[in-house]
Amino acid sequence: MRYLQRAGHRSLPGRRARLATAAILAVTALAACGGGDGGGGEAEAADGPKAPATIPELTDDPLTLSFIWFEWPPAQALEDFANAEYTKERPNVTIEVNTVPNANWHDAMFTQFAARQTDFDIPILDSQHIGEAVTNGNILDLTDFVDENIDVDAYDPYLLAAYGQYPQAETGQRDEDASLYGLPLLGDTWTMIYRKDLIGDEPPETWDEMIDAAQKCQDENPGVSGLAFHQANGSDAAAVTYNTVNGVYGGNLWNSEDKSIEGVINDEAGQKAMDVLVNEMKPLTAKGSGNWFIDEVNAAVAQGKACIAFQWIAAAGGLLDPAQSTLGTTEDEILDTLGFATLPTQDADVVPLGGMGMHISAYAPAERQAEALNFMKWFEQEDIQKKWAAAGGVPARTDALESPEFLEAGPFNQVYADSVSRMRDMWNVPEYAQLIDIENTNVNAALNGAKDPEEALDDIAEQQQQVLDSSGGGL
Amino acid sequence: MTTTTDHPVQEASAAPPPAPGRSPRLTDRRLALVFISPAMLLLLTMSVFPLLWALYLSFTDYSATRDAPADFVGLGNYTTILTSPEVWQRALTTLVYVTGAVALQTVLGFGIAYLISRRARGRGVLTTLFLVPMMLSPVVVGLFWKFMLDAQFGVINSMLGSLGLGQVEWLTRQRTALLSLIVVDTWQWTPFIMLIALAGLTAVPAYLYEAASIDRASEWFRFRHITLPLVWPLLLIAVMFRAIEAFRLFDLVYILTSGGPGVSTETLSFHVYKVAFLGFNTGLASAYGILMVLVVIVLAQIYLRYLNKLKEG
Repeated sequence: MRYLQRAGHRSLPGRRARLATAAILAVTALAACGGGDGGGGEAEAADGPKAPATIPELTDDPLTLSFIWFEWPPAQALEDFANAEYTKERPNVTIEVNTVPNANWHDAMFTQFAARQTDFDIPILDSQHIGEAVTNGNILDLTDFVDENIDVDAYDPYLLAAYGQYPQAETGQRDEDASLYGLPLLGDTWTMIYRKDLIGDEPPETWDEMIDAAQKCQDENPGVSGLAFHQANGSDAAAVTYNTVNGVYGGNLWNSEDKSIEGVINDEAGQKAMDVLVNEMKPLTAKGSGNWFIDEVNAAVAQGKACIAFQWIAAAGGLLDPAQSTLGTTEDEILDTLGFATLPTQDADVVPLGGMGMHISAYAPAERQAEALNFMKWFEQEDIQKKWAAAGGVPARTDALESPEFLEAGPFNQVYADSVSRMRDMWNVPEYAQLIDIENTNVNAALNGAKDPEEALDDIAEQQQQVLDSSGGGL
Repeated sequence: MTTTTDHPVQEASAAPPPAPGRSPRLTDRRLALVFISPAMLLLLTMSVFPLLWALYLSFTDYSATRDAPADFVGLGNYTTILTSPEVWQRALTTLVYVTGAVALQTVLGFGIAYLISRRARGRGVLTTLFLVPMMLSPVVVGLFWKFMLDAQFGVINSMLGSLGLGQVEWLTRQRTALLSLIVVDTWQWTPFIMLIALAGLTAVPAYLYEAASIDRASEWFRFRHITLPLVWPLLLIAVMFRAIEAFRLFDLVYILTSGGPGVSTETLSFHVYKVAFLGFNTGLASAYGILMVLVVIVLAQIYLRYLNKLKEG
C-alpha cells in the first residue's frame, strides 16, 4: 500500500509548488521577451552601421573569410579563383564560399540576420534583397569606403547602382547621392539559346518571330519542344519569366515613385504579356515542364530536347561540357549546334537584370569586416576583374567587360556585354520576398492551368499592392 | 508483507530509509528529482519556454528581422488568420491530404500486416524490408520521388510509356500533385501502421482462433469478430499518430511541389513557413502556429475520448 497516496488528492504544498513553478515559468518567459521590443534589442537606425572610409589594419593571423551563396557553378569558381589569386596578396587568408540550395538562399541569410549573428562575413545578396537587409541594419553602409577606394567611373552606373544602391535606382541610372551597401560580384542576364541546326544560324530578332520559329521547329522535329524556360514556383523562377515577357511587351512591374502596382502590372501591356506567355509560349514547352528551373532547362538543352531556351548566362557554362551533352563530343561540336543570342525585342528593348553583389555582414567580427573590405578593394581592380572574367566570372567594370579576357572566355559573354544597357531590375524593397512569392505562385498557377491567366495577373496586382500598402504585414 | 499492516497510509507516507552506503540526505525522492531534472530542464528550455514565448509573440506585431519594438495587438493576429480565405484554402488542402494519406496508409498498412502475420516463415525479413522507407529522411524520399515522378525524365512515366500509356504530369497539375504527395507519404509511412497493426495481430490469443475453427467459423467471421475488434483500438492509436504527423506535413511539400502548381498543394505548415520566413511576420506566424497546435490538441482530445469509450464498451 505504499503507493496509496498517488491515487488520492494531491497535498496542498505539492499544488503550491506546482503553481509556483508555473508562475516562475510564465514570468521568465515574459521577462525574456520583455522590454517591449520582442527581443530585438534597442531600435537602431534603419540603415545600419557604416564601414570606415579607409581599411583598418589587417591581421597577420590565419583567417577564414566566409561567403554565403547558393549552390551553382559560379560559387565554386569564386572559391577557386579567390583562393588562387587573393592568397598571393594575403597568404594568411582562406576563402570559403558556403552554399545552400537556391530555394533556401534568402532564408539562410535572413534567419541569421534575424538572430543578429552570422557565420558568414560576406553575404552575396540578390540585388532585390538589398532593401530588406539595409532596412533591418544587417549590412554595412559602404558609401565612404567606396568613395575612398573604388573607381566608380570605371563601371556602368546602373550596374554599380543595381548591386549596391539603396533606395533603388531608376532603371539605367545611378543616384550619386544615394548610399552604397555593396559592390558587384557577378553580373548576369538571360541569354537566348537556340539550335542552329534546327532554327538556322541567325537568331530571331523579335519575340513574335521567336515564337514562330519555335513553333515551326517543334512541328518539324517530333520529340523536340519549341521552348524551354523557367516555370517553377520556387525562388524567382516563374516570376522572372513573366517579368521578362512583361518588359518585352512594354509593360511595367510597378510605379516606384508612388509604390503602385495595381493598374500597372495588369495594364494592357501586362495582360498582353501574360496572354503571350500562357497561351503562345507555354504550349511550346515540354509536357510536365511546369516546375522547371535552371537545371531542368539546361538538361533539356543538353539532351537536344529544346529548339529555343532561355537561361541565366552564369548558369549556361555547363551546356558546353561534352560530358553532359548529347549535342557533340567536343565543345566546338556543341557550339556548331548551339547559338547564344541576346533576347529578342518586341514593343520594348528590355532584358532581366540578374547577378549579385558582395556585402558585409554587420555582425561579422571587426577583423573579418576589415578583411572583407580589403577583399572588395582587391576584387574590384581592373586586372583582377579581367582575371575573374577569364576564370568564368562575369565582371561589372566596363574595361573588363570590353576586354578580350572576358569576351573570349565564353560564347555567351558577348551577349552579356550587349545586354548591359537593356537591363531592368525588379523591386528592391524590404517586402521583396513576399512580392516575388506572390508573383511566382500566381504565374506558376497560370502556366500550369491552375488559374486563368487574366485572373492570375489581377491577383498578383491586388496581393502585391496589399503587401506594399501594409509594409509587409498580413498574410 | 508490508501490505498487511494496520496503518497502510501512514506507512506509505513515511520515506524509506536510504540504501546502505548512500548519504542519508539523498532520499529516494531527491534521487528521483536528480535523475529527472536534466530531462525536465531540456523540456522546459526547448519546448515549454519557446511555446510560452510564441504564445506571447502571437499577441504582438513582432518581426524577427525588423529593428522595431513589438506592439501589443490583442487578438488581431488570430482574427486575421481565422478570417483569411487563404488560410481556409490551405486548411482544406491539408484536410484532403490528411484524410487521403491516413486512410490509404491504414488500409494498406493493416492489409500488409495481416498478410505478414499469416506467414510462418520469413516474417522477420519481410517486416524489416517493409520498414526501410520509414527509416529514410523525408528530404531524401522527396528528392528521389521527385526524380521518379518527373514527367520528362522520370522512371514512372518511362514505365507507363513502355506499357503504351501516356505521360502524366504528376507534380505540375492540380489534381495529380496532391495525389502524388499522398502516394509518396503513403509509401513512406504505411510501414508505421503496418508495424503497429502487426503488434496487435500477434497479440491476439491463438486459443480464440482455435475455438473459432472448432466451431467451423469462416475466415471472414474470424476476421470480423476476432481479429478486427482486438486490433482496432491499437490501429486507431496508430491512425491518430499518423494524422497528427500528416497535419504537420512540410518537408515533402517543400521538396516535391513547393506548394504548386500555384498554391494548390500548400499545406498549413508550408503556409506558416512562408509567413514566418518570407515576410518575417513573426507575431502572425506565432499565432498561426498556436492555432495549429490548438486544433491538434482539441481533435486529439475528441479522438481519445472516442477511444476511451471504445475501450469501455
